[in-house]
Amino acid sequence: MLAYLRLALICWLIYLAVTANLEPSNLIVGLLIGLAIAAILKPVSQPLSLGRLPGALFNLARYTVWLGIDIIRNGVRVARIVLDPRLPIRPGIIAIPSGMKTELGVALSAHAITVTPGEQVVEIGDDGTMYTHCLDAVSSAAGAEEAQRKRRAMLESIFE
Amino acid sequence: MLENLGYLIATLAVLVGTFFSFVGIVGLVRLPDVYARMHATGKVSTFGVVLLTVAAVFVTPLAWSKALVLIALLILVGPVVSHAISSASYRLGLPMKQAVRDDLADKRVERTRVERTHVERTHVERTMEMEPRSEH
Repeated sequence: MLAYLRLALICWLIYLAVTANLEPSNLIVGLLIGLAIAAILKPVSQPLSLGRLPGALFNLARYTVWLGIDIIRNGVRVARIVLDPRLPIRPGIIAIPSGMKTELGVALSAHAITVTPGEQVVEIGDDGTMYTHCLDAVSSAAGAEEAQRKRRAMLESIFE
Repeated sequence: MLENLGYLIATLAVLVGTFFSFVGIVGLVRLPDVYARMHATGKVSTFGVVLLTVAAVFVTPLAWSKALVLIALLILVGPVVSHAISSASYRLGLPMKQAVRDDLADKRVERTRVERTHVERTHVERTMEMEPRSEH
């Protein structure tokens, strides 16, 4: 029941954000849509501790900022490679162990890697190893495990 | 004053977004294979579209909440798409050019069951198929 209401609430908030309309009729329509979606999806109930929520949200914001800085830094690096007349690429696929226990953790690590320009996950092994294609495999391989350790610490601070 | 600031931010966002979109297209043309090209096109969606959306918030009546949902969806879904394309390419056996290493090569990735795909067939084979068969 709790999971059902929580999902309906999240859907309602997203609906209101997309329509950007706080008239009473729209509030009601959005609530009905949220309840309908929750009824169709049938969410699994998970233990929820409200006391952890502010901390998790703070960690999520910190992770988003860190990811944004990473995206910009790598974007500039890739732009420099692409515009260089010699096109100095050293492409290759490197294996990065994710070290995450849950599937969600592996998926979010792979997302963080793929969203930064210059690196993208091609395949995920059964043990959670991320086979990552890099534009510059030599320099990426040097910092990959360190970056993954940092990423893992941040993701675990959000979900645990 | 505040309006001018909005216009300044919008102009900067348009300039930077257009620059990165341009770089993405140049990369699409210059880079050697499908995997490297996915890096370039991914940048058009992360930098190009997101920054143009930011600009639209400041100069058009687009609501910021709508833009925020749009940007979140772009950031979440973009990598999924490029992963799907590159993974499919690897399973089809499209070659990587100028590769310095391939850690995935010795792991046996389950290739698609289709024996020869349209991509892998040579031009000669395709033209031969079109000829009418006189025997049989």
